Amino acid sequence: MLEGSRLLLPGLWLLASVSCLLGDAAGYRRKVTLQSIPGSNSSSANLLHVRAVGRNNTLHYVWSSIGAPTVLLLYTRSESSALRVNWTKLLSASPAGAIWVEPPGSVVYSTAVVFTKVFEYNGANVSALSKGQEEPFYPPYDLAGFSWQSVNHTVNQTALTAKFQGVDTSDPGGAFHNGTISFQVTAYEQGGRDGPLPRLLHTANSSKVEFIMDNVAPRGNSSRFMLEVVTVEEKGGHKRLQSVRSIDDEYTPTIFEMAQLVSEPRNDSIGPSFFQWKTTAYGSREASRENAIRCRYHPLQTANWTLPGPSIAHAYFGEGLGRSHHIAAINISFGGEDGEVYAEKGYLSWSALLGFGTPPKDAFSPLVMAIVVVALGTPVVLLLAGSLVVLFARRKRHSQYEPIN
Amino acid sequence: CPDSSLLPETCTALKHRAHRVRIWVVKICSVFCLNVTILQVIFATGALFNAFWLMEAGRFVFGIGGESLAVAQNAYAVSWFKGKELNLVFGLQLSMARIGSTVNMNIMGWIYSRVQDLLGSTGHSTLGFTLMIGGVTCIFSLICALILAYLDKRAEKILCKEQGKTGEVIKLTDVKDFSLSLWLIFIICVCYYAAVFPFIGLGKVFFIEKFKFSSQEASAINSIVYIISAPMSPVFGFLVDKLGRNIIWVMFAVVATLASHVMLAFTFWNPWIAMCMLGVAYSLLACALWPMVAFVVPEHQLGTAYGFMQSIQNLGLAIIAIAAGTILDSRGYLFLEVFFSACICLSLIAVVMLYFVNHLTGGDLNWSAKKREKLQKLAAAE
Repeated sequence: MLEGSRLLLPGLWLLASVSCLLGDAAGYRRKVTLQSIPGSNSSSANLLHVRAVGRNNTLHYVWSSIGAPTVLLLYTRSESSALRVNWTKLLSASPAGAIWVEPPGSVVYSTAVVFTKVFEYNGANVSALSKGQEEPFYPPYDLAGFSWQSVNHTVNQTALTAKFQGVDTSDPGGAFHNGTISFQVTAYEQGGRDGPLPRLLHTANSSKVEFIMDNVAPRGNSSRFMLEVVTVEEKGGHKRLQSVRSIDDEYTPTIFEMAQLVSEPRNDSIGPSFFQWKTTAYGSREASRENAIRCRYHPLQTANWTLPGPSIAHAYFGEGLGRSHHIAAINISFGGEDGEVYAEKGYLSWSALLGFGTPPKDAFSPLVMAIVVVALGTPVVLLLAGSLVVLFARRKRHSQYEPIN
Repeated sequence: CPDSSLLPETCTALKHRAHRVRIWVVKICSVFCLNVTILQVIFATGALFNAFWLMEAGRFVFGIGGESLAVAQNAYAVSWFKGKELNLVFGLQLSMARIGSTVNMNIMGWIYSRVQDLLGSTGHSTLGFTLMIGGVTCIFSLICALILAYLDKRAEKILCKEQGKTGEVIKLTDVKDFSLSLWLIFIICVCYYAAVFPFIGLGKVFFIEKFKFSSQEASAINSIVYIISAPMSPVFGFLVDKLGRNIIWVMFAVVATLASHVMLAFTFWNPWIAMCMLGVAYSLLACALWPMVAFVVPEHQLGTAYGFMQSIQNLGLAIIAIAAGTILDSRGYLFLEVFFSACICLSLIAVVMLYFVNHLTGGDLNWSAKKREKLQKLAAAE
């Protein structure tokens, strides 16, 4: 057993250094600018354009709360590509083609992630839910019908963050009397690790989106929430759900799993895109292990899904959305049998990373390696040294013995 | 009279000392039993009347009584069984304690729900009643202590006549006379238990999150260590009695525990294997380690030695438990397991050093049972 673990360590060290190198190769600096595109007088019509310029390529993230909150990820092979918006067409009934990138044809890869609905259900009888019978669901909150505050004031150019904050306009039950649902966006210029939990490792080719529920009153005593996330993949590509399990939970204590949606590799070797998250949420602005909320994901549903409108995905992808584009949906639920964390704290925050390229992977920290080597090595060294001492002592005793004759 | 090979005067002095130890042990044992019973009642009363401070006071003094009870128990066991089935007795002691813990963990929840049905409400009064019912077992413990005291007094009368109150006084400063072997045994004890009990305390979430166990499965695997040690401790005690070589057994136990922690930390192998190994190692260590104290310490210092061992074990557990919680919150389970492995390695270093110290000073800790029996027969024949 000990030999196996000692072979493991040099292997892990090698893996760690190789992954660091790979990370460096892909995670060079990008020049990032955030811009809230002014459009109409309606404050709900928010369009945030994040432009990350690298070497010979540009990543455009287009965040919007027009319709359902959506993010478009566009990868172009030009450093001077620019986003163009036709506002009248965008806000009309048929927005197809209202958003495009100039020069045309420079977009090599595009994908979209749409947050469509927030479900609320009675979590007391969770076993019934997993069997699929008698889902005790309350009427869902349709994020497309929310009214959002202007994102302009929330743009922070130094921290590269912005926040979309919204309430349900219909709000029959008065749940949004004091509460809001927000999406906080953080862009990154280079690779690194987040400070606050869940301390996601990011590259320069990624952005973080944080889904926050603040003081939305639950409609039952043991309410649990579920977020529906829809991905759009173009030109016949697919997104696959992967579960990456690791023995290392150093950066997110007690969480050993990272779930990710990765697009399948294509013939033209354009890097995949990913949408990854750690299977945990937190119940406080100061996220810590004590207020962790269990986060579980359900299988990816791909069959016959159509994207409910409106959304800027329709504006960019146009009429092809139904035909050549592949749409998949996944439900992410928050809360488990471990208690009513949301009911007590009234706050829920879940972070996910959206990016281009190979999804980043955590590696061991040098401190852990050092401790293991020292701790496991010392007794062995001591045993060897002690055996040598005993052997010498025995030989000395024997050599001092003089035979009688 | 024991030790009849010695001169009559020394024999008398030894008798006095042994007698004084016996009286001390008997008194202390009964007092602590009474202490424990009274304080369980105080704890339960605190719960009944919703006075948390009373519960805390009860627990605080319960701690004083309960642990010292263990010391008195150890001293009793040695005074009755040294040179005979000491390892088996320690194994049985541990086994009984673990059966008690297991029964407690499984039954108390059920009793609580029954009382809840009876009273029709949850809350402090239900808790108080449940704890009172638990307190009944303390009374049973007290009755056993009184019976033991009577048996001990009877043994005194049969074996040796009561002499006058001369003889050496037992001093706390005997601590400075402890040999290097004893200090190494203390280190082994502290470092080993510090890597087992806090781990079991924090382990449930580990099994739920890393190995995707359900809540019940995680509780079950957590308690497997105690469930295994209940039947295995007497078996191992018997084995160590028959074979001797205590230090080698301790080394096996420590290495097995280290292997188990490494498996849990660095692999996704079925954790039942690691936890069963941990349970077996834990039982083996208890049977082989505690009797070693009786071999390195003279009889009149035995109580002090065991008391000291218990006390630093508990101090170590308290400090490490707090440290473990902090490490878990800030750095997660991998780091915690590495930390526990480091503690076990410290224990392993102490075992290795103990082996060499014992070997080089010609000590008798690692003698096989046959050798010990032979020397005893030789001593009795003279």
